[in-house]
Amino acid sequence: MHEPLISVDGLTLRRGQFLLDHVSLSVAEQEIFAIIGKTGSGKTVLLESMAGFHRPDSGHVLYSGIPIHTIPVNRRNIGYLYQEYCLFPHMTARQNIGYGLKLHHIKGQQANERIESLARRFEITTVMEQHPGTLSGGEQQRVALARALITQPKLLLLDEPFSALDPVTKERLYDIILDIRTGFGCSIVFVTHNFKEAGLADRVGVLLGGKLRGIVSGRELMCASWDEDVKDFLGILD
Amino acid sequence: MKRRAIDPFVILCIVALLLTFLLMGRVLLVIVFRGIGALPAHLASRQTLFALGLSVKSASISSVFCFILAVPTAYTLARVHLPLRGAVEAVLELTMSLPYIVLGLSLLILFSSPAGKTLSAAGFPVVFDQNGIIIAQLVVNLPFAIKLVTTAFQGVDRKLETVAGLLGASTGMQFFSILLPLSRNTLISAFVLIWSRALGEFGATLMLVGVTRMKTETLPGNIYLNVSTNDIDSALASAFLLLVLSTVSLAVSAWVTRNDRRQSRYA
Repeated sequence: MHEPLISVDGLTLRRGQFLLDHVSLSVAEQEIFAIIGKTGSGKTVLLESMAGFHRPDSGHVLYSGIPIHTIPVNRRNIGYLYQEYCLFPHMTARQNIGYGLKLHHIKGQQANERIESLARRFEITTVMEQHPGTLSGGEQQRVALARALITQPKLLLLDEPFSALDPVTKERLYDIILDIRTGFGCSIVFVTHNFKEAGLADRVGVLLGGKLRGIVSGRELMCASWDEDVKDFLGILD
Repeated sequence: MKRRAIDPFVILCIVALLLTFLLMGRVLLVIVFRGIGALPAHLASRQTLFALGLSVKSASISSVFCFILAVPTAYTLARVHLPLRGAVEAVLELTMSLPYIVLGLSLLILFSSPAGKTLSAAGFPVVFDQNGIIIAQLVVNLPFAIKLVTTAFQGVDRKLETVAGLLGASTGMQFFSILLPLSRNTLISAFVLIWSRALGEFGATLMLVGVTRMKTETLPGNIYLNVSTNDIDSALASAFLLLVLSTVSLAVSAWVTRNDRRQSRYA
C-alpha cells in the first residue's frame, strides 16, 4: 500500500445539532475510497472537512502531512465535485474547463490540447461552446469532472456523484471514475448511499450518526462482521 | 354549471390595488398633463437647465462614489467572517431609517466644525456649496447601496467561488471572475436605482447647502423654489422632468435585469 495522501485523525466537528465524532481514516495515493451512510449521517461534512472547508474542533486532517485547513484554498491542488456540479453559469463548457489553466498561466496551444483531450475522454466535444444551463445533468457532471481534473489534482473529492443520474449515465460514470484513477493517477474519495456504487471503491468507510463504524474493502462490504445498526442500514439479515 | 366562488381575500386585494392605482395614477396624471403643458417654456429657462444639469451631474458623481464604497463594504458583509457584523449592520439599518433632514443636520454640524472649516480652507467647501449636494446624496444613499449590493452578492452561490479557489483562483480573482460577473445585472440595476434616488434627494441637501438659485439649485430644489413663489406650472414641469428621468432609469434597470434566455436549457 502507498503512503497516505490524506489522513483524518480523531476528527471531531460540531455543526449545530450534528456531531462528527472522532472520525479516523486515511486514503493512499491512487486509492479509491467510498464513504457510505444514511442521509444526514455526516458524509458531506466529512468530505468537506477533507477538502479543508471546516476547521476541526479537535483532531486533524493532514494532506501530504500538512493540516489541510492551513493551506490556502488556491494551493491545495484538490478537485472537488459538488452534488449540484457548480459550473460557472456565465461561462461556456470550454471556458469552465479552461478556467483552472488560465490561473496556472497555461495558455495557447498547450491549453487547447489539454482541454480537447479531456473533452474527448469525457465525450463532451459537441457541447463545448454551450452554457451550463443548456446541458443535461450528465453533460454538466462530465464538464465539472473535466474542470476539476484539468489542473491535475492529487486528490479528487466527489459528493454523491451518481445520485442525480439515470441508470445508463451512471454506468458510464462508473467507468469514468475507474478511468480517472489510471489516467490521472489521483486518489478519489466519493460519498454515496448506494451499496453497489460503494463496491467500486478499493475501500469503503461506513458512516452512521456522525461515527465511522468501520472500514472494509469494497468487495467485503456486505459480508464483513458489522454491528446491528450497520447490518440494519445495509439490509443484512442474520 | 356551478359558478366558482371568489375568495374574499382576493376581492380585498383587488380593492386595495384599485385604490392604490387611483391614488398613484391621479398623482402621475397631474404631473404628466400639467407638467407637459408648461414644459416648453420651462425648458427655455436658464434656471431649469442649470437645475437639470446640476442634478444629473451630482447624482452621477455621488452614485459612482457610493458604489466605490458600497461594493467592498458589501463584499465584506456578504463573504468575510466578522465578529461585529451585527453591530455594523445595525448602524447601517439605523442610518437608513433616519429622516433625511436629520442626516442633513448631522452633516451640517460635522462640516461646520473646525475640521470642516479646515477642509473648506483646503479647497473643498461643503456647506452651501455644490460639493455638499454630492456629500448629502452619498450619505443618504450609501446604506441603501450597501444593502442592495450585499443582497446581490448573497444571491450568488458561494460554492462557485470555492470551486474557483480550488482551481487556483485567489480571493481577488474569485471576486472579479465569478462574483462580479454573476451579480453584474443586479449591480447595474442597483446603480440605476441609487442614481434615481440621488436625483430626487432633497431633505439632507436642503439642510446642508440650502437652495440658492443658479448655485445649489437641483431639480427638487427648483420645485421647492417655484412652489415658494407660487409658480406651480414651473414646479410641475420640473416634476415632469424628474418623472421622465425616473422612467428612463427604471426602463434601463428592467432591460438590464431581463432574463438571460441564452443560459437556460428551457428557453
